[in-house]
This record gives sequence, C-alpha cells and structure tokens, in this order.
Amino acid sequence: MSALMRNWKHAVLMILLSVYTAFAAGPVFWVSMMSLRTTTEIAHNPYALPETFHFWKYSEAWFKSNYNIYFANSVEVVLSAVAIVTLIGGMAAHCFARYRFPLRRVLYFTIFSTIIFPPQITIIALFQILVEYGLYNTRVGLTLAYVAFQLPITVYILESFFARIPSDLYDAARMDGYSEWSIFWRVSMPVALPALSTAVIVNTILLWNEFLYAVVLITDDSKRTLPLGIQKFMGDRLEDIGMIATGLMIAIIPVVVIYIFFSEKLIQGMTAGAVK
Amino acid sequence: MAVVSLKGLTKVYEGSDEEAAKNITFRVEDGEFMVLLGPSGCGKSTILRMIAGLETITAGELSIDEVVVNNVPAKDRDIAMVFQSYALYPHMKVWDNLAFGLKRRGIPKEDIKRRVSEVAEILGLTPFLNRRPHALSGGQRQRVALGRAIVRNPKVFLFDEPLSNLDAALRVSTRNELVNLHHRLGATTIYVTHDQVEAMTMGSRICIINQGQVVQIGHPMEVYRKPANTFVAAFLGSPPMNLIPAKLDRGESERPRLRLGDQLITLPNSWDASLGGHKGDVIFGIRPEDLFLPGSEVPGTNIAQVDVDVNAVEPLGAETVFIFNLEGIEEKIRARADRFAEARRGDRVKLMLNLGAARLFDPGTTKVIPGDEKEQN
Repeated sequence: MSALMRNWKHAVLMILLSVYTAFAAGPVFWVSMMSLRTTTEIAHNPYALPETFHFWKYSEAWFKSNYNIYFANSVEVVLSAVAIVTLIGGMAAHCFARYRFPLRRVLYFTIFSTIIFPPQITIIALFQILVEYGLYNTRVGLTLAYVAFQLPITVYILESFFARIPSDLYDAARMDGYSEWSIFWRVSMPVALPALSTAVIVNTILLWNEFLYAVVLITDDSKRTLPLGIQKFMGDRLEDIGMIATGLMIAIIPVVVIYIFFSEKLIQGMTAGAVK
Repeated sequence: MAVVSLKGLTKVYEGSDEEAAKNITFRVEDGEFMVLLGPSGCGKSTILRMIAGLETITAGELSIDEVVVNNVPAKDRDIAMVFQSYALYPHMKVWDNLAFGLKRRGIPKEDIKRRVSEVAEILGLTPFLNRRPHALSGGQRQRVALGRAIVRNPKVFLFDEPLSNLDAALRVSTRNELVNLHHRLGATTIYVTHDQVEAMTMGSRICIINQGQVVQIGHPMEVYRKPANTFVAAFLGSPPMNLIPAKLDRGESERPRLRLGDQLITLPNSWDASLGGHKGDVIFGIRPEDLFLPGSEVPGTNIAQVDVDVNAVEPLGAETVFIFNLEGIEEKIRARADRFAEARRGDRVKLMLNLGAARLFDPGTTKVIPGDEKEQN
C-alpha cells in the first residue's frame, strides 16, 4: 500500500472520528454553554455562545434551589447502593464462578433473566412492597430498589471475570492455609479489581442518572436526588431552560470526573482476557 | 519430613462413571523423591491433588506419618505445592507472595522477615522482592513459586509439572537446581510430570501411571531396563523400546527359539526355566541401545544376529539413529549407535542383539514374560 493511500485512509478515519466526537460531545457542549446563560438569552438565540458567563447560576442552583441537598442525597443513595451491590454482586459472582452446587445454572439464569424486564413492569409491585415495609419515601428504600435493580448486571460482569481467574490461584491460597472467606477477600477481590472498577463505574453512572424509581418512590423534597431536582425547573407552562441546563451540568460533572479517573480501569475490565 | 502412604486411593469425579484414579497404592519414604510419570490425562495430577487435599478421596486411605488424613483440609495437612502455572498472586509483590502462607499461620513478623529473606537469598530472588509477578521472567516466577513452598518448611512437597512452562535450556538448569535443593532440604517430595527425562534424572523412584492405574514402581534405571509391560516399554526412552511381534517355539534340542519374521534366534540358557512351556505369539522388546551394528563392541555374551535392511539414517550429532526393516515384519526397528557408525540406506547388515537386555511380553495381557529366573521373584 502506498504512502498516499495510507494517508487517505488515515484522513478518512480522522474525519469519521471527528464527526462522531462532535455528535457525542456536541449536546454536552451546548448544555454547558446554556448553563452559563439565562433563559431569556437562550430564548433569544438557543445556539449562541454566552456573551456574559453567568456563573452565579451555579451558586443559585446549589443553594437556592436545594441542589446541595439533592446532591448529598444522590451521593448517599448512589454510593450506598453501589457499595452494597458491588459487595453482594462480588460474593454471588465468586460463588457462581468458583463453586459447583445444585441449581447453580437455574439460579444464575433466574437472576440474569430479570435484566430483560423493563423497570416499568416492576415499579408498581416495588412501590407496594416498599409501602408495606415502611420503606416508601425513604432513601433506604430507594437504595434497596437500586441494589435489586443493578444486581443482575453486576453479577454478570463480575462472574465472567471471576470465571477467568485460574483455579490454581485459589488452590494455592488453600494450600497456604486460607479459608474460603479469606480467599474471597484476599485473592478474588484484589485480582478482580479491573472488573470491580467496571462494575462500580457502570453502576454509579446508571444510578446517578436514574429517574424513574426516584420519582415514583420519593415524594419529600428533602429526600430527592439530583435528577428529580432538575425536574423542579420544569413547570406546566414555563420551563426554566437556563436553570435546567445548570442543574444538568451539576449532575453531569461528577460522572465525567469519575469516568476521567477510572476510564483506564473500565477499559481494562471490559477487555480483560481478550488478549493473552 | 514425612512418610506418605496411599492405600487403594480411588477418585470418581461427580457426574462421571469413570475412575480418574483406580486403587492407587504406594508409599513414599521419608526424604524420598518420588516421580509420578504418565501421559497427559492419565490421572497423575488427580492423585497429587488428592494428596494435597484439593480433591476429595472417593475410596481408599491416605496417611501422612501413619495418620489418616482423608478428611483433613488442605490447609491443615502441612503440605506445600508448586503448580504448573506457578499460581503466583498477581496483585502481590514477590515478598508478599512468599510471606502469604506464613502470615496465615500466625508466625511473628520478625520470623517471617527472616525466613523470606533466607529463601530469597537461596533462590536468588533478593533483587526482585519488590516486583510483582508480571514483571518477572518465567524462570524467576518459577523460583518464586518454589520459594513460596520452601519458606513454609512443610512436611511434604508436591510439584505439579513445575517445569513445563519453561523453555528447554531453562528447564535443564532448573531441573538441576531442584535436585540440588532436594538434596539440601532432604524433604519428602512427590513430583508429577509427563517428561520422562525429568523423571529419569530427578526421581529416587518412578511411579508410572496409565489410565488411572499404577503400572510400575521402581528406581529409574530399573523401570527403564525392566519395563513391566509394553506401555512402560514404549513410554520410556527416546527412541522407545523396539516392540517386535514374534513367535516363541522349541527347537530340536527343546531350546526356546524366537522367530522374528523369517529369521530364527535361539534364546539364552538362562531363560529356559522361567519361560516354562510358554509358546506361540509374543512381543519381543529390545531397546535401541541394545542393538549393535557390525564392528561395534558388544557387551555380554548372549548375542544373537539378524539380517536387516537399512531404511533410514538419522544423524543427531552425538549419536546416530538407524531405522531398519526386518523381512516379514511391518514394524520398523530402531538402533542407537555412536556418531562414527556407518551404514547407508539400502545396505543389508547383520544386526547384533544383546539378548541379556531383551524382554518378552505377552501380546494378550501386554505384561512381561519373565525371561530370567531372577526376575520371577
């Protein structure tokens, strides 16, 4: 292949990637610009760049629109749910990958098959259950719902990774005198760190943005999570687009930060075992 | 140090009807280096894992120092094992890999430090103590795996094909290191391999396993020179023992004779009594190094001659392997000669057979027919 041909291929690839990047990042950029403009300015010209950067909007959203509370609620609910789901998911995945026990396949299939149900199907039953157990309109209730919702995919991600850990490693730990419980903590979990990071990132992003369960299971303003806070700026007749954009940016920033810091681990976890 | 005794050890895996190990019985003496040798899938690793406590025992009795340990968990058997894959903990540095087993046993930190340092020194791992396994070469990883076993100072060492992931040159040097280490530690060792060179050079005794059963146990040279059946004869040696279909009958003087193709050879006097009335089809086994070309110096007095045609010559540098056709027999005959031996493809030569080292096997049972009275005991 000639150098000219190679350069052409390279150029075409770069153009395609640039178009895709613009397609994916464009809306985020647009929202970030709107977050620094007032609703009046946006109404006048939705796509313009800010003439004045209204950073005060962030402060107003954070303090006057209770975003500090929503943010704290989101952090509490999401971190708790992610911690629990990672722990339980890790244990379940370790067992599925490592032990042979009766009904193992049936159990795995049952857990995994719940992925196919859209959340709308389970929401009414879940609502009823939480009401009966006094967990409706509580952050604990929402956390537990999130745990149940994310557990199957977490088990799936982790089980496929745990299954690839050589069994010799477990045998060596047994020969070294460790119990099954210790082996889980001292061998399985540290070795599976890339997969655990993947599960943590995926769950954090999904739950941080989760709206349906939150809007159905939480009614008190003081218990709302960030996605519900954004909804507050949507009135029946008037939508405060500027503040919605500011709220969105407040919600997006932690996710972007997490992704920037953990993306390497995420890729490692997703591609682990692909190359020897 | 310890004595390991297996009595009728049997393993049937869940969901399988076949016995992966059948009625395994042998005893490894204190300080002995026992090699379990057999082809892949013969059950040798299963036996080792039962000894280690990593597999349950379906039937039979396993004892260490006369104490039955069938139901004792692996962690309480005081056994260390080196795995084929090394099984180093990838998230731990070399130091932590070595100390991992000691920490669990509640050994004081100072002792752990001393023992790890000593073992690292012995194995030349001191410069690598702060590295993780992925930053080590294959040989270094192998030594860490070895160190992890040694540092615990266990009663018994188990090795599951520990050299098979090393390249040829490193395998030879590590083999030598392992033998030296065994002499130094004097530990009871059970070593699994499918490599006959490892078995011959390392073991105090070899236990040959085939299809889950013990076929023969003995000192390496004894097993090599006196294989108990055609499997051992063909499995040990490179090239392996020549196994030639033959007919045993009696000559005019009632002396046992062997018909190899169209040619007759008379068997030595010493075989008379032990062969008894044995007649008919047999398999004549003779190692390539017990066949001699004309002009070679032949050891012993029980020499027979057959006419053969040279089919191929394989000069290997230090020695030459000749492949012969014997008229009336399909099987090729291989002879190992020194590098100066001369014969060309197509030549007809008188091949001399050292019958003192030959074996006869029953084609039905594949077991040896004792040729010498002494072997009957």
